Amino acid sequence: VGPSKTDAVWIYTITYGGGLVSGDSVSVELDIGHDCTAVITTQASTKVYKSVEGKCSVQVLEARIGSNALLVIIPDPVTCFSTARYSQKQVFRVASTSSLLLVDWITSGRHQSGEKWDFQLYKSSNQIYLQGEGDQPLFIDSVVLEEGTTAAISERMQGYQVIAMVVLLGLVLIMIKMHCLLECRPKLKQIQDQVQENVRKMMAEQLHHSGVRGHNKANSGHSIGKPLFLASCSTFGPKFEKKTSQGYLKVQCDPVAQKARHKGVGVVVRIAATTTESVYKFLEHQLGGMESLLGVAPYRG
Amino acid sequence: MLAQSWLCKDVVVMLAFDVVGTLRTRRDEDCNLKLWLWVRELKNFWREGLLFVQREEEEEGISPDVLGSSVLRGCAIAPMEDQGELVEKNKSIAPREALLQWSEWQLLDSILPTGGFAHSFGLEAAIQACIISDPEDLKTYIVHVLDNTGSLLLPFVYSATVSPTMANWHKLEKLLDATLTNEVGRKASTSQGSALMRVAAAVFTEIPSLKMMRDASLGSGAVSFHHAPVFGLICGLLGLGSGASQRAYMFITMRDIISAATRLNLVGPLGAAVMQHQIASVAEELSKKWMDRKVDEACQCTPLLDTVQGCHRYLFSRLFCS
Repeated sequence: VGPSKTDAVWIYTITYGGGLVSGDSVSVELDIGHDCTAVITTQASTKVYKSVEGKCSVQVLEARIGSNALLVIIPDPVTCFSTARYSQKQVFRVASTSSLLLVDWITSGRHQSGEKWDFQLYKSSNQIYLQGEGDQPLFIDSVVLEEGTTAAISERMQGYQVIAMVVLLGLVLIMIKMHCLLECRPKLKQIQDQVQENVRKMMAEQLHHSGVRGHNKANSGHSIGKPLFLASCSTFGPKFEKKTSQGYLKVQCDPVAQKARHKGVGVVVRIAATTTESVYKFLEHQLGGMESLLGVAPYRG
Repeated sequence: MLAQSWLCKDVVVMLAFDVVGTLRTRRDEDCNLKLWLWVRELKNFWREGLLFVQREEEEEGISPDVLGSSVLRGCAIAPMEDQGELVEKNKSIAPREALLQWSEWQLLDSILPTGGFAHSFGLEAAIQACIISDPEDLKTYIVHVLDNTGSLLLPFVYSATVSPTMANWHKLEKLLDATLTNEVGRKASTSQGSALMRVAAAVFTEIPSLKMMRDASLGSGAVSFHHAPVFGLICGLLGLGSGASQRAYMFITMRDIISAATRLNLVGPLGAAVMQHQIASVAEELSKKWMDRKVDEACQCTPLLDTVQGCHRYLFSRLFCS
């Protein structure tokens, strides 16, 4: 895919007929070896056709990521057609020093045909566990959109046509020797910091303007719209217990033996947008820094 | 567990109770002391033939000697031989249940100093993002938040109430910490939860295990004191049934958003009270829909809320912490 000197494997998942039919079940297992880099992507959006006899289309992905390895999952969005039923589950087991970039997103349907959030069921579950000592849960997210009695899915979406989630996880193994601290910079740290800063700037500006316009609502008489693109960032992951005033981590440890601690810093970005193009642009812009690791930048073009 | 007794005109007194939990023949540290004492008293009625206990799924009744370790849920019907005697006996049960009512009301009262007033559940961000502009939007928003609370948090309240042990509570805490991926929501949960735990340990001194669990968990540092599990734990130890505790959690969520709405000037105090009553029937439907589920079924049903709540940190000026 990219220049040959970049050591990354690109895998395209392809289905016959360009979509999932009611009752289809797809199961994928991945094992990313130590120091390896793999990219999973799609050729086009995943279309889920209408449900027949109440059957569901299911996709399951189970991945194990080795030490110092990077797994990147950058698909096109899922599009559920009218009355479709779709369920997906993605479970990632990571080791110390693993990295993961995961994009999971869905559009409201075939806008041209007027299908907006017209499906019966969409379930997406993403789970990340840290291997060892009983698989500690790091990130568990489940979204269930089901057409039901309380509120229609379209009402819950308040006019937004696309929702997306981007997870950037980069684990760092801190080696503690005597009282010194050696830290290896994880692969995604720079992108994580950049994305958080970019989103903060973009949203602060938008909300500031909305706030000002709202304040002037009485005077101008204009109708105020929601932002066309809404995003927010959060960090997640295990924290350190102790931090001294000097900023170093001081731990009581055997001066001879080395003790290792895990520091997981993950960043999750949640997006709601009115157009698919705006999300593609956002992803291309924010993930551009991945080019050096992957050979080609995700979502380019 | 809820026990109410009615005296009807007929010769049947119905003692309806919902005792869910494991009853052991011996008391152990994890067993709810109140529950144990209450059932022991009930067993006397049982043996005296004044009470007929039936398990929900079975047709026949069960004998008090079979008790051992089992789950009891059902309806006890007592044939009234002597109404007067039963009235006397009922009076001895009543004070305990009545006292539980007072504790329940105190737990749900907004004057309990848990800091709930500092959080708007994403309302402030939603207003500034122009997603809410009038009281109708507000009503819709509240219903969505309650729906999402039900789908995401009620399973944790349920599990903690039904099994109010330290081991289970710690397990729920770890899981919820990984599930609350929104930083703003997560911080709000831990600040409310730790305040609630502190207050409950000081207030409900008749339950020494509350203080004991709190002190032990503070020391270890492994527990974040999330609001939902702590709330469920307290309800379970107080003796509230799982139905009551889950409804109560939905109630306090609704109470806090409506309170935030009045302070954000979206609705006046009287309008807020009217709205609260109007939403009550929807809240009940949602409580019934999402209650009694397992924690691995916990999910978000309104993902837009997560995005909006996360924007709270980007607000130029804000009144609330979250």
